[in-house]
Amino acid sequence: MIERILTDDQKREIIYKNGGTTENILAILLELQSASPEGYVEPQTTALVARELGLTETRVYEIASYYAMLKVRPQARYVLEICNSSPCRFSKSDKVVHMLQRELGVGVGESTPDGLFALHYTPCVGTCDVGPVIKIGDVVYGSLDEEKIRNIIGHLRAGQTPVQEGGRS
Amino acid sequence: MKNNLLLKRIGNMIDPTSVEEYCSTGGFAALRRAAGMEKEDILREIEAAALLGRGGAAYPMGRKWRHLYENPRYPKYIVCNADEGEPGTFKDKALLSQDPLSVIEGMLIAGYLFGSEAGFIYIRGEYRIIQQTFQRALDSAACSGYLGQDILGIKGFNYTITIVSGAGAYVCGENSALLNSIEGVTGRPRVKPPHLADVGLYKQPTLVNNVESFANVPIILSMGGDAFRAVGTEKGGGTKLVCLSGHINNRGVYEVPLGTPLEEILYAKDYGGGISTGRPLGFIHFGGQSGPIGFPEQMEGLAYSYEGMWERSLAIGSGAMVVKDDSVGLVEYLESVMEFFIHESCGKCTPCRLGTTRLYELIGQFLKGSAKQEDLPRLENMLTHITNLSACGLGQSVSVSVRSVIRHRRSEFEALTG
Repeated sequence: MIERILTDDQKREIIYKNGGTTENILAILLELQSASPEGYVEPQTTALVARELGLTETRVYEIASYYAMLKVRPQARYVLEICNSSPCRFSKSDKVVHMLQRELGVGVGESTPDGLFALHYTPCVGTCDVGPVIKIGDVVYGSLDEEKIRNIIGHLRAGQTPVQEGGRS
Repeated sequence: MKNNLLLKRIGNMIDPTSVEEYCSTGGFAALRRAAGMEKEDILREIEAAALLGRGGAAYPMGRKWRHLYENPRYPKYIVCNADEGEPGTFKDKALLSQDPLSVIEGMLIAGYLFGSEAGFIYIRGEYRIIQQTFQRALDSAACSGYLGQDILGIKGFNYTITIVSGAGAYVCGENSALLNSIEGVTGRPRVKPPHLADVGLYKQPTLVNNVESFANVPIILSMGGDAFRAVGTEKGGGTKLVCLSGHINNRGVYEVPLGTPLEEILYAKDYGGGISTGRPLGFIHFGGQSGPIGFPEQMEGLAYSYEGMWERSLAIGSGAMVVKDDSVGLVEYLESVMEFFIHESCGKCTPCRLGTTRLYELIGQFLKGSAKQEDLPRLENMLTHITNLSACGLGQSVSVSVRSVIRHRRSEFEALTG
């Protein structure tokens, strides 16, 4: 977890490491977002990407606000995305929602007051063979039950990376 | 398991990105074969194979390739659609992560045939880790001379493949939206026609095929188009990757010859292994959220083939099979499908942007018990409107699942009207 805001030079490094053209804009924004302490594409980042790629800020903002994985507002430190598409939804993902709400004390769409966790729904992440699942960052945690959920939350609270379980996805 | 064509390397490779290992299991033999053939003969093999597009639309690959081949404009682009986003679909993921070189070989053969020097693969943002695997496979192919300049020592056979990442937009699986997204324009569909084979990426002639379609190309050229067709059925050759999920014992990706009895796929021990909840089968949602829903009586004795499914108003689509037992309420299920489409509608055209929300609200009225009898014909009219007036495949297919239910389980809606 990166705690500090990247310098413009570090951001430029990410932009050019990813190809540095408009074709790579989504990969660039995704990586800049995951390096951002608040997990979003900040206005300064939008401006820098626009400058480097020769686009207007409006265009970059339009793209950042259009795609579901890109965020234009600050996010909680750990965003827990519960898959609510039909393969998971009617196969116990409702139980996962209840467990997470109880464990974190917040509803779906809300963040914990300490800014550590947020609970959201996401459409299918392509791991239906191990549903119900949650996605945290780029990692999917599958075949969830109460114990696994408590484990994941416990690890995150302690600042550790949870063990990914639940099979080949 | 069985004589797998597409999955033969899956799980059997130490390093799926290694060219050496790929070649030791027959990899790149088809590319070599193609490079020694007349281009017209390559096309004939593809046409003879009768491969229907594996992304979901089932467009004949031979027709698409012939169309692009006959376009005299250059440069031409080859694009692989790896934006697998239909809920319940995770088969392209298996190929991308565990046999990426087979996809690369398919794209290379297309590059050779069409004289294209640039290929792109658009991989969904949710598969960011797989993007890294795929990049390793590309690097390894380039190191061994299968990408770059004068490939196979053939002067002028130059080809590169670039990965482009998506970022969470289902509609980018629609080919023209995908091309916009590659161009760095917001990923909303274009108005068609023109066909993408005439006006595609950067307005140039472009081939867009799905991951599984490309992975089939080396297989077709290795075994021959006629033999490939013979594996499947008259209308659709080859095998199909199916994704079983929901209330089924063995969830996962399986390869089945087209024409396999559906019951075998659901119940055989080495496929689905039966319903997991101990309850009777309720329904199967085929091909993702945009596909039709099948009910037990409709699926009796059904062969899982393109024509077999079409005859019963069903479709193979992406190969997703979301199995649900009889405890799942159909109208409640449809409400969740609509919720998905509201989230994913790009907002460009009004019938889809507003229609998805209005459908969701009306279905909600049934669930709340506030729907009147005349609301069912109203729902049907709305379905017709959104289907006929939406500009792209997303809006046009929103109605498919609802229509399945109205057609076969009308009483479910009627029971909820006051």
